Amino acid sequence: MKPIVAAKDLVKKYGELTAVDGISFEIREGECFGFLGPNGAGKTSTIKMIHCVSPLTSGTLIVNGLPAHINNRALKMITGVVPQEITLDTGLTVYENLIVFANFFDIPKREAKTRIADLLKFVELEHKRKSKIDELSTGMKRRLLIAKALLNHPKLIVADEPTTGLDPQAKHLIWQRLRQLKNQGATLILTTQYMEEAQQLCDRVVIMHRGKILREGVPSKLVEDEIGREVVEIRIPKEEDEKIMSHLLPFSCGHERVGDTLYFYCQDGQHLMKKLIELNMHNYLNRPASLEDVFLKLTGRGLIE
Amino acid sequence: MNLSYRVYYVFIRNLVSYKRFVVPTFLVSLIEPLFYLITFGIGMGAYLGYFGGKPYLFFLVPGVLVSSVMLSSTFECLYGTFVKIVHEKLYDSIIATPVSAEDAIAGDIAWATFRGLVSGTLMFIVAAFMGVLPASMPSVLLLLVLMVFVGVLFGSMAMIVTSFAPNFDFFNYYTELVIMPMLFFSGVFFPLDKFPGWMKTFSSFIPLTHAVNISRAVFSGVYRPGLIFSFLFIFTLEVIVFYISLKLMKKRLIK
Repeated sequence: MKPIVAAKDLVKKYGELTAVDGISFEIREGECFGFLGPNGAGKTSTIKMIHCVSPLTSGTLIVNGLPAHINNRALKMITGVVPQEITLDTGLTVYENLIVFANFFDIPKREAKTRIADLLKFVELEHKRKSKIDELSTGMKRRLLIAKALLNHPKLIVADEPTTGLDPQAKHLIWQRLRQLKNQGATLILTTQYMEEAQQLCDRVVIMHRGKILREGVPSKLVEDEIGREVVEIRIPKEEDEKIMSHLLPFSCGHERVGDTLYFYCQDGQHLMKKLIELNMHNYLNRPASLEDVFLKLTGRGLIE
Repeated sequence: MNLSYRVYYVFIRNLVSYKRFVVPTFLVSLIEPLFYLITFGIGMGAYLGYFGGKPYLFFLVPGVLVSSVMLSSTFECLYGTFVKIVHEKLYDSIIATPVSAEDAIAGDIAWATFRGLVSGTLMFIVAAFMGVLPASMPSVLLLLVLMVFVGVLFGSMAMIVTSFAPNFDFFNYYTELVIMPMLFFSGVFFPLDKFPGWMKTFSSFIPLTHAVNISRAVFSGVYRPGLIFSFLFIFTLEVIVFYISLKLMKKRLIK
């Protein structure tokens, strides 16, 4: 499939700070592509360049065959943006928010009205049509942001951490809708810190850290390559490492100590578990490896602020 | 510079949002001029006798009218715009659409100008009820043009301040140190003839002085050739300030 977004040696600097440090990637038409990374990794800076609200410092960025540029109205016309922050017009009602926004895309009034009716149904907000923004819950506001992003029937949808601060019900509804959009043929670009979200939605992801791309690939494949199939966590003080290490190492393909926990990465945790029982250990857990393990392994388990 | 017809859409956004505030702002726009005209015009005017053969109120109205346009457009581009950029991040979502940053900023200046026009018009109506009217009907048109000029000029100036204001409190510097003194140095409340030479020179650099001169001519019907200079002064300054305000504000919006 041909790429809808192609970046080469993309750099973004804010004064002295390098937010994006020479990254290259391609996003294919019709896929869901995720940018994962801790705070300050450069995810938002990257997608802001993609949807043309932030100028590139250097490198090239082609979107839908056109160079991304802040004055590129043609690209903004085909892009829908679900922002990280809730940027709704609090002076307006739900309906007014949408009708005013439709104006910005030159959508004729009659057409806008039909689209708004459909979209309010899509995000399950029909009953809130006349409500003021202050009267909506966070989940409703996020859904309205999605409806707003879809007014121009975008070919490319950019969602920046779309489920931040939502309860599980609201989160799952948003995931449903985003998958539905992808199935309808839109290309989806997502940034997230929630690995579950990436696993639920993304065909491919890149893991970013300090402005660079550390890994790129299909989530399940990344997990298998970096971690293996299973993880065994043992809660045990560091002093006792020596005693047990020699017994356990033969069964794992990698291990890591973080604070009070030892992590063993294995293709099959069975043997290691058997050994743990033999050793009469108690505080342990065997679970499937996840994208979160990859993420933490690559970006470090220390706090990033 | 990336301006387009989409300025109009931003204006419409403001108009739709304004619906909720129409009644309070109309009341303020009505009460404020009444307050000026009654206290200064009637109260103080009683002591002042006649100015150029007419009661003081006739002197006062043209100046207070353009100042009310100035104040309305100034406050709209200070507080109104600041809320939209910082508190509501509204501009962030607007510039992600085909509406450019310049469109959005110019749309707000256009809106501020409209607010100024509303204030000026209400003042005009109040003054008319008090018997103060322009010299002729065609001069009303000139007054309208002047109000638009004043609105764009002071809206753009306020926009420049907003482009680097860290918070609301910062606006006090501008309103107290620039806008308020301007009211007293521009001949709104009294003629400038008695000012010493250097103060007169200072006054002649204040845009409001020129606006007041034109407005007064509209009401008196006496047009001196110096008014053409006043018009050119306002117009030139306005073009420059408008351009700078778009540049600076864009810098704040796009990083």
